[in-house]
Amino acid sequence: MIAPREITLTIDGNACKGTQGQTILQVAGANGIEVPTLCYLKHLSPWGGCRMCIVEIKGSLKVVPSCSTPAVEGSTVVTNSPRLQGLRRLTLELLFSERNHFCPICPMNKGDCDLQQQGYRFGIDSIRYPYLYPAMPVDVSGKYLGLDHNRCILCTRCVRTCDEVEGVHTLDIGNRGVKNKIIVDLNVTFGMSTTCTSCGACVTACPTGALFDKAAAFHGPLVKCRQTRTTCSECPVGCGLVVYTKDERIVDVFGDVESPVNRGHLCRRGRYETWAEPRPRIRQPMVRRDGKLVATSWEDAVSTIRNLISTSNSGHNAMLVSPRVTNETIRTLHAMGARFDRLGAFVANKEDGLCTMPEFSPDGLSRLQDADAIVLIGAEPSRTHGVIAARIRTAVRRRGAKLVILQSRRSDLDTYADISAPVVGLERKFWKQVGEVLGTAKRPVLIYGPMAMTTVGVTILDRLIKTLGTVGEGGEMFAPIQLPTSTNSLALAAAGVEPVEDVSTWLAVRPPVFLHIVASDEPDGGARLLKEPHVRPLLEQIENVVVQASYHSVLTEIARVVLPAAIWCEKNGTITNFEGRTLPLVAALPPSGEAREDKAILETVFA
Amino acid sequence: MSDKPKIKVATAWLGGCSGCHMSFLDLDERLMDLAKLVEFTASPITDVKEIPEVDVGIVEGAVCNDEHERVLRTMRRQCKVLVALGDCALTGNIPALRNQQKLADVLERGYVETESTQAGEVPGAPEVPKLLTKVRPIHEFVKVDAHIPGCPPDADAIWYAVTELLAGRNPEWTEANLRYD
Repeated sequence: MIAPREITLTIDGNACKGTQGQTILQVAGANGIEVPTLCYLKHLSPWGGCRMCIVEIKGSLKVVPSCSTPAVEGSTVVTNSPRLQGLRRLTLELLFSERNHFCPICPMNKGDCDLQQQGYRFGIDSIRYPYLYPAMPVDVSGKYLGLDHNRCILCTRCVRTCDEVEGVHTLDIGNRGVKNKIIVDLNVTFGMSTTCTSCGACVTACPTGALFDKAAAFHGPLVKCRQTRTTCSECPVGCGLVVYTKDERIVDVFGDVESPVNRGHLCRRGRYETWAEPRPRIRQPMVRRDGKLVATSWEDAVSTIRNLISTSNSGHNAMLVSPRVTNETIRTLHAMGARFDRLGAFVANKEDGLCTMPEFSPDGLSRLQDADAIVLIGAEPSRTHGVIAARIRTAVRRRGAKLVILQSRRSDLDTYADISAPVVGLERKFWKQVGEVLGTAKRPVLIYGPMAMTTVGVTILDRLIKTLGTVGEGGEMFAPIQLPTSTNSLALAAAGVEPVEDVSTWLAVRPPVFLHIVASDEPDGGARLLKEPHVRPLLEQIENVVVQASYHSVLTEIARVVLPAAIWCEKNGTITNFEGRTLPLVAALPPSGEAREDKAILETVFA
Repeated sequence: MSDKPKIKVATAWLGGCSGCHMSFLDLDERLMDLAKLVEFTASPITDVKEIPEVDVGIVEGAVCNDEHERVLRTMRRQCKVLVALGDCALTGNIPALRNQQKLADVLERGYVETESTQAGEVPGAPEVPKLLTKVRPIHEFVKVDAHIPGCPPDADAIWYAVTELLAGRNPEWTEANLRYD
């Protein structure tokens, strides 16, 4: 590869070094010269639409947008002159006069709006143009986000984010001229959209209050919130989060731009589901008295449990834990393992197959980033790992990567796939086709999930590893990537905790007398344990069930004792993502009510 | 007390919530200092209706009806320096939200369709000011010499603008003191 040629140009009288292919804005930024921008976002392709970043180039009468003009060796650039400042002011005034930018009634008022900040910066105290006051709609039909066209400046940051980062291209611009407006799909509302994944990246990208999180709107300025960097514990990808809190409640949750895992992007699970919808929280220990759960103190709950254990000496004790627990909790479990006759982790559907041979995939995400062919077997990133689905979509749409989806449930990714076969046979014709699609791949990536762990799935996996092994350059590149469903199931499996997929069999084989369920902050309170109808009677037969959970569910209906567990944003510790990275959980809030962290509860109860 | 003649000030309240005038009263003890330098003539605060010839005219609110327009033009005629006080005067702001609807629909909604209204009708008496088709900021009618943005501008912003004007300067708004909220 040829190293890019170094160039030198003069910006505002300073000799600035850059490389050929960089824009003027990039070179200026790298040399510490700040040029005002509005439609520019570092990780998106340049648009050159707002004209705030205009600069003068010596020898040219025109001013040019620096975000989309290549830097040229030996040129002389001026980023700040009375003429440029005047033009930028004019641009801002035109933007302010075009739609209905009334700050006092905007959720991004008080410092969260780039347009407002630029207005302050340029000292705009009045607008010389007549206001247009156009009648613009407000779309609040989306579950989590709203779109107020009154505040839109058509910078297309949302459009480019939707296209280039999430890869679904739900948003675009409709109409012509002054009637230009952001449209969803073919001009429907967010609520009607069939392509929007509710990843919320458009809201993050929006410089004004045009796109906003409904649950965060009017809950206080983000600039005044406390920010906590932590890790999303919804799935094994382990995206970095920035949690915005105020008065001990969450105002909003965004992706952490500095996280090497997600680089700021999130899916709806991490961005919204954990906080933007109500979940019935357990805030106090509870003990069943006369058939009813009554609130009690920790001391009483703990002594009740100890009594239950001492009276159940005749039978055996068992513990079932959620695969969401932290590595620290796993270590605690390990240390007190002898106290239980059996310890199991209630993993997701078919996940036990993966857990019997846990395999971390270092650099899984960067390999995916470079892949020219992606094969999915029994994996469902669209449903579970939104950020990986986004990477797959952009790989196909922007880099022309091949995509083959086998043995997986139907999802939107099928639209982008070269071959999509929910049910795969061993016909020669089909495999010839697969071979043709993947034949030219230089950097293929194979991702397999729980559904690949069937007899057919394993056969397919073997066959593919052989197919890819014969077309690639180096053997070590093709280590298939294991993508489990649950957050920390691989760490649990690596620690030797038995994965339990079939809870009813696990219970029926040796019915315990005492069962402690650590549901942790499972969104459904651990109710998925009861997904098969015959589990409930089995659980009801167990005399002493203790449920340690964050949310009320059918499990708490069965429990003798209920212990309130801290949720994701109240936990400290680490989790291990599917790449094997140990990622930190940092508490953004103190535990709600009398809730405690799983590890602390286990240590207290079984001390 | 100095013998210098006091600077005459008039203020007017057009289509706005009076929050800007309230914010003016928020000057608190600084009002005492101000009273030594200026004489308040017509103003919602003094309840003097007729605007005499003054040095400084301060206008709050957007122009929503023909009465507002008349008062504004009188103020412009009678004052040397006209100051737009607050976002309604500067941008139309909240009163301008009705610009997205047809005027007839707005009146119908307000006087007839309101949930608590029984047999209402749109007032048409000649003494009731006629609403303009669109609410507009004051600079679209007359020349404005100085601006005090904010909804409402806080007392410090008003004090800064007033002291600058009394010193014969136009207030300079920068990142440090400029607020639209």
